[in-house]
Amino acid sequence: MSDPPRSGAGPLLLRGAILILFLLAATWATHLIREALDLHVRPENEQQVHRTIIVGAAAYVGLLALPFVPGAEIGLAMLAAFGAALAPLIYVATVASMMLAYTIGRLLPIGALERLLSRLRMHRAAALVGRAAPLSPDQRLAMLLDGQPKRAVAVGLRYRYLALALAVNTPGNSVIGGGGGIMVMAGLSGIFSPLATLLTVALAVSPVPLAVMFLGLAI
Amino acid sequence: MPQILQMAALAAATLGTGAATMTVMNRDVADYPVPEGEWTAGNELDGRSYHIVGTALDTGEALEDELVFREGTFQSANCEEYCAFGWSDYRTKVEGGMIHFTARTECPDAPHTVVWYGTVSGGEMRVEGTWTTRRWYWTHQIGFAGSGSADPAAAVGVAG
Repeated sequence: MSDPPRSGAGPLLLRGAILILFLLAATWATHLIREALDLHVRPENEQQVHRTIIVGAAAYVGLLALPFVPGAEIGLAMLAAFGAALAPLIYVATVASMMLAYTIGRLLPIGALERLLSRLRMHRAAALVGRAAPLSPDQRLAMLLDGQPKRAVAVGLRYRYLALALAVNTPGNSVIGGGGGIMVMAGLSGIFSPLATLLTVALAVSPVPLAVMFLGLAI
Repeated sequence: MPQILQMAALAAATLGTGAATMTVMNRDVADYPVPEGEWTAGNELDGRSYHIVGTALDTGEALEDELVFREGTFQSANCEEYCAFGWSDYRTKVEGGMIHFTARTECPDAPHTVVWYGTVSGGEMRVEGTWTTRRWYWTHQIGFAGSGSADPAAAVGVAG
């Protein structure tokens, strides 16, 4: 019997180095953009900044709640523009957005939700809901873990709140609908209780804003 | 519990969690630390005005202002442009022939608080302070410092 092929540490280190370089470049570019925009809050523009933040936060909550709509970038852009001081607002808005999506999934009948998304011309989101319609609650949960290793799916089905936190934080989860799509599916499944879901989401989305706030990381 | 009540409870819990989070995470920034002392209602500077030139401490942006004192009250012409702060009481203490003054002004239309601290020796004034805006989601502060003269034509420095 031959041994399975082993992957060396080299490619892993290379990936890590590329990731670090990417993060450094992104941070540098963000600072350049911020400087170029000259986004200093002054007495004469504070009211305008205030309105921009409120409108941006409202748009962030609404867009992030929609399946397949890249709303997270709005939050990152606001953090980049206004700095770590805005991290608490972004965190609260993210939790509110996730719970809005969950509530929509839980409250609206699945057929009505599919029709609504179709009328809004959100065909991918409508298709996602349509695929979930005939499935059992466990099968809907398995949809959230699409793309995860089999072992992760098995663990996820057993520890569903852990699975939900994992799915929300998985890079590239936009393939399965993004944070909004995942939470709509969670609501549709009917197997997530509201308060436990709120607690899960509050913990799941906390790492980035908390890191920005307490460690002073630059976005 | 009917589903609609569950959702109302969930909305209330989400909003409550959000409000609690903002309360805990939104760090306040203290106003300018005015030195301790035997401050009393001021009138020593009444009838005077100072043309001040200075800078915002974080950005280095140049600032220019006219500080006016009358009948125990104080007004910054520059701040008045951004919000109708009106006339605010000022306090003073005199040490070694130098007049120290401080004033705290609050915008009635927006959550801006400006704290001033200055010293006057002869016809010259040095002034420092903070403009602090406390919104529910963040606290933003601008520090400033400057100096100037009672004679507008001989102004050497401003803040505001």
